[in-house]
Amino acid sequence: MFVRVSAIGLVLLAGWMVYLDAVVTDRFEGRRFEVPSRVYARPLELYDGAGVSSGALERELALSGYRKGDGVRPGSYRRNGGHFVISTRGFRFPDGDEPRRKLALNIYGDRIQDFSVSAGDSAAIVRLEPARIGGIYPAHKEDRILVRLDDVPALLPAALMAVEDRKFYDHFGIAPTSIGRAMLANMRAGQVVQGGSTLTQQLVKNFFLTRDQTLLRKGNEALMSILLELHYEKDDILETYLNEVYLGQAGTRSINGFGLASQFYFGDSLKDLDVHQIALLVGMVKGPSYYNPRRHPERATQRRNLVISEMEDAGLIDATKAARARGLSLGVSAKPSYSENRYPAYIDLVRRHLARDYKEEDLRSEGLRIFTTLNPAIQYAAEFAVTDTLPRLANGDTGKALEATLVVTAKDTGEVLALVGGKDPQYAGFNRALDANRPIGSLIKPFTYLTALEQPERYTLMTPVLDKSFTLEFDDGKRWQPKNYDGKERGEVPLHLALSKSYNLPAVRVGLDVGVPAVRKTLRAFGVVTPISEYPSMLLGSVAMSPVTVAQIYQGLATSGFNTPLRTIREVTDSGGEALSRYSLKVDQVADPAAVHLLQYAMQETMQEGTGRSAYYSVPKELTLAGKTGTTDDGRDSWFAGFSGDLLAVAWVGRDDNGPTALTGATGALPVWARFMAQVPQHGFSPVVPDGVNYHWVNTERQALTDEYCDNARLLPFISGSEPTQRVSCSGTLERKIRGWFEGLFQ
Amino acid sequence: MIRQGVFHASMLAAFLSLAGCASGPGGSIYVPAGGSTRAPEPPQTTKGGEDRENPQVWRKSEQPEAREPEQTQRSNKPSYRDAGDELSPAALSLVREADKLLKSGDAQGAIVRLERAQRIAPRSAEVYFKLSQAYVAGNKLGPAEQFTLKGLSLAGSDVRLQRAGWLLLADIRRAQGNVAGANHAEERASAL
Repeated sequence: MFVRVSAIGLVLLAGWMVYLDAVVTDRFEGRRFEVPSRVYARPLELYDGAGVSSGALERELALSGYRKGDGVRPGSYRRNGGHFVISTRGFRFPDGDEPRRKLALNIYGDRIQDFSVSAGDSAAIVRLEPARIGGIYPAHKEDRILVRLDDVPALLPAALMAVEDRKFYDHFGIAPTSIGRAMLANMRAGQVVQGGSTLTQQLVKNFFLTRDQTLLRKGNEALMSILLELHYEKDDILETYLNEVYLGQAGTRSINGFGLASQFYFGDSLKDLDVHQIALLVGMVKGPSYYNPRRHPERATQRRNLVISEMEDAGLIDATKAARARGLSLGVSAKPSYSENRYPAYIDLVRRHLARDYKEEDLRSEGLRIFTTLNPAIQYAAEFAVTDTLPRLANGDTGKALEATLVVTAKDTGEVLALVGGKDPQYAGFNRALDANRPIGSLIKPFTYLTALEQPERYTLMTPVLDKSFTLEFDDGKRWQPKNYDGKERGEVPLHLALSKSYNLPAVRVGLDVGVPAVRKTLRAFGVVTPISEYPSMLLGSVAMSPVTVAQIYQGLATSGFNTPLRTIREVTDSGGEALSRYSLKVDQVADPAAVHLLQYAMQETMQEGTGRSAYYSVPKELTLAGKTGTTDDGRDSWFAGFSGDLLAVAWVGRDDNGPTALTGATGALPVWARFMAQVPQHGFSPVVPDGVNYHWVNTERQALTDEYCDNARLLPFISGSEPTQRVSCSGTLERKIRGWFEGLFQ
Repeated sequence: MIRQGVFHASMLAAFLSLAGCASGPGGSIYVPAGGSTRAPEPPQTTKGGEDRENPQVWRKSEQPEAREPEQTQRSNKPSYRDAGDELSPAALSLVREADKLLKSGDAQGAIVRLERAQRIAPRSAEVYFKLSQAYVAGNKLGPAEQFTLKGLSLAGSDVRLQRAGWLLLADIRRAQGNVAGANHAEERASAL
């Protein structure tokens, strides 16, 4: 009986070992030979008429690694005022090779003229090599800069072994004796200075297992450690450990490996670190958050000094060096910086899009080439707009607490061109553009009015709506009494004015008239996937969205009712250039283009006469922008969303702690937005009048057609059949359908 | 049914290619960066800081909330137009490449070229009709219908483009089995 049970046990154990062996080798192979994915910006297209300034072109050339020179050698250019001669290196794009060429062009008025190819295949349009903007190593929000053992200062692994695993090069994966030794050392120090697990066990734990402290897990850990040692060299295991170990958190992103940790905490590369800095990193292995040198400098210093003593004990440094190192400050940079990742917020979004279609292993190991939609010139302008404007918006504590985001997309393609996630665009922490879900305030109003304008028999741009307070009483006895921002009431106002001046009371009345469910339906059609409140307060924007979601839903407003999914990636290829995935342009008509055209009129009016008009203090009038302001209670959120002919941009200004500010959409987000728009050469917004829309001169007060030259005349678009039938003269007398006394007779 | 759609679309393709010989990027108004508010030329090596000095100062007192404007009865003129952009020579060269690829049966390759053309000529109805045609060739009628609608939204008062678009739409809808939709589109074409 006992023999039989033992035999079954042995078979099961053997089976389990085979399984664990497969797990270990599979995963380890994948990690050991990983090649980072390379991420590229969009290539700059050069052709006659392309919108680019001389400065932007020069900046773009520098990003693509061009040198100023004779313009003859590939990869060099010559500039004389607005005249450029560029010799390209050629590049293998997913859709084919762009061969080497010598180009000549002039830039005049921020536009390319006289474009010609003087050597190489002739072409009317040529792409520069795209700038490399980053590498993608992780998918599970793990970030790292790979290091090779040979490139790591020898003191680092030595110190690591002194503290974590003195017998690393001698044991076979587990070291029963070192457990006892660690206990002894810990008792001597009066606290835990050494761990009992070997480096191999720690790696296995991070690599393959959960963090629960169960016996079964401990058993698996030991077995897998032995298997790992059986298969691989000590140096391979050590190198993997150095790249794998978790050493901190930057917002949602984890800092893995000493290579990145060095950048993250000191802003320096690993090879430039001093003894005291190496000691700190080694000490942090035990608890990166507990010993976080930025949050808990005293704890971190204590831990570092313990490590320095251990290094001294192990004979790695002499007493003088140790004493000197202990006397130094932590040497941590004020905030984390990446030299690797210049566009952290944007790359963050790229990663999330990649995670939909690519496995972690593939992104880590396959050396993929990822062609994004990032436009470095637009990103530069967006970052500048945020960093330059924000300090001017408020002083003191509020000023310090202010944060901002800016999302820029190409209006008709849905390509995300730039993303700023906070006031420090280089900071790789909390990405507000994606993760800050805030009430959108009046940004919701266009969707309410669009829902109304889609019923031309009931609503036109000049339909009078009541700007008068009222109280809603709910079943549970609660009351809701919306108010205008300025507290005033104006009686009847035409619909277009109610939107352009962003009056609350008419918006709620129209919303309740068409129904909250209808407005929710419109929002859904335009791309909201998150929950939308069913309460009437949603009509004033109590619904929360991220800036990127707002950009998504405004895309449909900017493109005459075509929902265009936002994209950050055009193509992904393997390391050899073979296409793996393409992310194509998609359009989906979700609203009547005629109704959207009417709405676009009111959004242009917002910029010319309404809450957005201060934009034209800095933006040329010819851009004929369209947009909408948004403000939430006590200025907690300041929004602006709007578009030109080419670009759609959404700006948000507020505080991370959701505290009040003195800002409105017009005084907070709009200056950031306008500052951005003013810097970028682009086309004005001038929508094509869709089928079934006609413009008429009207007197909105009298709800009647009138003549162009009348003082109170306004040129408004109407969906055919909804235009007024009466006509009045400039003085307001009825010209046709003279009904006044007649109607009175029969009423 | 689908074959018939392809057939009509190909006819249309030939028609658009001939008609699309536009000269220069017309239509939209191009606006260079706004004068004094232009961002300073950035340093090429150093980052941030003093180099990003700004010539214009934002004053909160300039904001609309702080100063009630004089109410002008006279409205600013809205910006709108009757037709989309014509194809620039650069965009046209990409459309021609796409045509070649379509002829050789490479619908996907054609779509890649056309998307590139769409990026530099996003307000041209022709590009969207061409995209629609490429999707028809790849037997993807859903996207084809949507791109036709998008093209139609930019055709404005151009009768030639309107007719081409409505006929294309009729073909696609018929191939989808949407007889009523196809008839409607045909009626729209013949009413022009």
